[in-house]
Amino acid sequence: MKCKLCKREKTEKELCLFHKRAYEKIVEVYAEWVDALNINWEDYLSEIEKNSLTGKWAKEVIEFVKESRVNL
Amino acid sequence: MQNVTLIITEKPEAAKRIALALDFDGAPKNKTEKGITYYLIKREVPIIVVPALGHLYTVTNQKKEKYNYPVFNFNWAPRDIVERKTYRIRYCIDIISKLSKKAEIFIDACDYDIEGSIIGYTILKYACKNKEEIAHRMKYSTLAKEEIIRAYNEVSPHLDFSIIEAGLTRHEVDWLYGINLSRALTIIAKKHSNHYTTLSTGRVQGPTLNFLETREINRKIFVPTPYWQIKAKVKIGKALFEAEYKKGIIKKNRVLKNIITNCAGKNCVIERIEKAKRHLTSPFPFYLGSLQREAYKLFKITPAQTAKIAQRLYLEALISYPRTSSQKLPVSIGYRTIIKKLQKNPEYEKLTAELLSKRFLKPNEGPKNDSAHPAIFPTGNTTDRSLKITEKKTLDLIIKRFLAVFSDDAIIQETAISISINNNLFAIKGTRTAEKGWTRFYQPYFKFKNNVLPTVINNQKVRLIKLIPEKKFTRPPFRFNPSSLLKKMEKENIGTKATRSGIVQTLEKRKYICGEKIIVSELGFEVSEILREYCPSIVSIDLTRKLEERMEKIKEGKEKREKVIKDTIELLMKTTKILKTKEKIIGARLNNAVKKTLNNRIEVGYCSSCKNGKLVILRSKKTGKRFVGCTNYFEGVCKTAYPLPQKGVIKPNVQSCKSCGCPTIKVSIRGKRIWNLCLDPKCSSKFKGKKNEMQIV
Repeated sequence: MKCKLCKREKTEKELCLFHKRAYEKIVEVYAEWVDALNINWEDYLSEIEKNSLTGKWAKEVIEFVKESRVNL
Repeated sequence: MQNVTLIITEKPEAAKRIALALDFDGAPKNKTEKGITYYLIKREVPIIVVPALGHLYTVTNQKKEKYNYPVFNFNWAPRDIVERKTYRIRYCIDIISKLSKKAEIFIDACDYDIEGSIIGYTILKYACKNKEEIAHRMKYSTLAKEEIIRAYNEVSPHLDFSIIEAGLTRHEVDWLYGINLSRALTIIAKKHSNHYTTLSTGRVQGPTLNFLETREINRKIFVPTPYWQIKAKVKIGKALFEAEYKKGIIKKNRVLKNIITNCAGKNCVIERIEKAKRHLTSPFPFYLGSLQREAYKLFKITPAQTAKIAQRLYLEALISYPRTSSQKLPVSIGYRTIIKKLQKNPEYEKLTAELLSKRFLKPNEGPKNDSAHPAIFPTGNTTDRSLKITEKKTLDLIIKRFLAVFSDDAIIQETAISISINNNLFAIKGTRTAEKGWTRFYQPYFKFKNNVLPTVINNQKVRLIKLIPEKKFTRPPFRFNPSSLLKKMEKENIGTKATRSGIVQTLEKRKYICGEKIIVSELGFEVSEILREYCPSIVSIDLTRKLEERMEKIKEGKEKREKVIKDTIELLMKTTKILKTKEKIIGARLNNAVKKTLNNRIEVGYCSSCKNGKLVILRSKKTGKRFVGCTNYFEGVCKTAYPLPQKGVIKPNVQSCKSCGCPTIKVSIRGKRIWNLCLDPKCSSKFKGKKNEMQIV
């Protein structure tokens, strides 16, 4: 089975290894954003999505999470 | 002729220098046969100096099977039968063989390092028919006349067989890794797509690509975190200064708000003035790696180019042997003699005079050592040839670094003024050069900005103009550039000083990486992934590091070459077996990646006629000429096509033409200025001003 975001083989759930790592990174960094700005998950996703420093795969995962409204 | 001595050098330029230095009249006779020039020298005994053309022999497959793997049978063979377009190698071998029949004494005068030793050894063994046991070794670090005469008089009675053993092992192991893994990848990709693409990897290429890929992944999954910095703009006397919050960055927004509330409208008092002197010790002399990094930092000359330039300067006897890893300058090189020679150049007159007035000259040496050569130093010689700009710059850098090494420390006076605003501390930092020391010798390469602060006293009140909070974000890890990649390879101890820059070029050639700030292509990702998945030990730094250690042991006589080769073959047998069983999956992955990478390269932009096709660079099957065509042509929808310049390298631009909106390309032809070109030949921009030049948005 292929990853939902690219043609790589998926590992578990919906994503390949790289996109899964990007998702884990998004979750990990959320704690720091909460600490810094006391922000909710949706606003956090919007903030990092429009940030030019956010990596390509992380942005792809954000879009996917927002569109499918799933918790991976 | 009786008792003829045959001296073998690594390169023609070295043969010429050695001949000029050793001939009693300084005018050796030269003979040219089939484009190879050798020299007949008058001395106590007749001497012939003959050059090689780098490696004349190489490791190759015993059986000539091209499309099979694994391959474990190898031997050393002339390069002309292994590689294409190397007919000069054949001429060179023929001439050396012919001359060796007349000679009784053999001297290997190739560069004194592993590669030089292998070049000399293989020529003596194969071209001169087993003369390696009786041959002598000339060891020199510069091609200056005095050094060559000294090396000739103090010729070593035999070759350095321990270095040769280590060198042979390195070549054979690298060949085994390269041929088996590269062949496996290429054959698997070809089997799947029926299309030939050279894919390669190796003992050093694998780990290098692996950490480039790891960096790329870390950038692609990066998520920034916010933080704040706060500055206090204060007026001291008539000047304005920005004092930084002493505790550094602030990670929480509420903390920032508290600081701003606490400081608003409060008194601003100088609490403490701290002064300190910092010594900047003079730099270490250059070794190849540090020279490559400095040349890249200052002049943007790539490491591979720097290595070539340094080699040319060495062959002209302007600098010492560049492929060194030493940071030591032994007294025997003659510090004063070199500096006196440099003094003849008006550019260095003042600086050298200052050093020569010193009673003792002691270089600031670094920890790195190389038993074969000292650090890179100028010889003080001049050349009749007009040097190219990059050569001039590199030579000047080496000379100035050499002079700086003997100079005193520079002293920097640092001042920090702490300002308290309602117990929140801010600081202004100032620096001033107290003693210029070595930095004077290293101009314009050392830049230092003085920031002089006004005279203030403790408890002095200053005016707070405003607080400046700044929201910032953490940044993704930087991409490697050729210089930082070289540093990383050096730190991880993979590759050698001579081969590292070549590895980076190979990765580029294979289209695994591109750009000055290195980006890993889709193909690079896939190759690295496949290797990590199916043969993790190949991409691990540990493997190559351990091998380097074993190579050192071979040099010391503590390890056997045969054992290292046997272990390598065992590992490769396992690896290739795994690759063979997974050929179908790997082939599909490689094929996808090759397609994607090639498509990325040739896409120029969107077609403005049909609006949904892509413009790609194609070649006409009929004429072989390149042109740009729309991808919808193949669907029979769009016939848009544009002509292209047939010479030079073409790269698509991101920006489109300002006049017509058509995609633009960058054309670079060697020796000419790079120009931007609109694809549309009828574009109005081409009729304004210069022909074929346009403005891009």
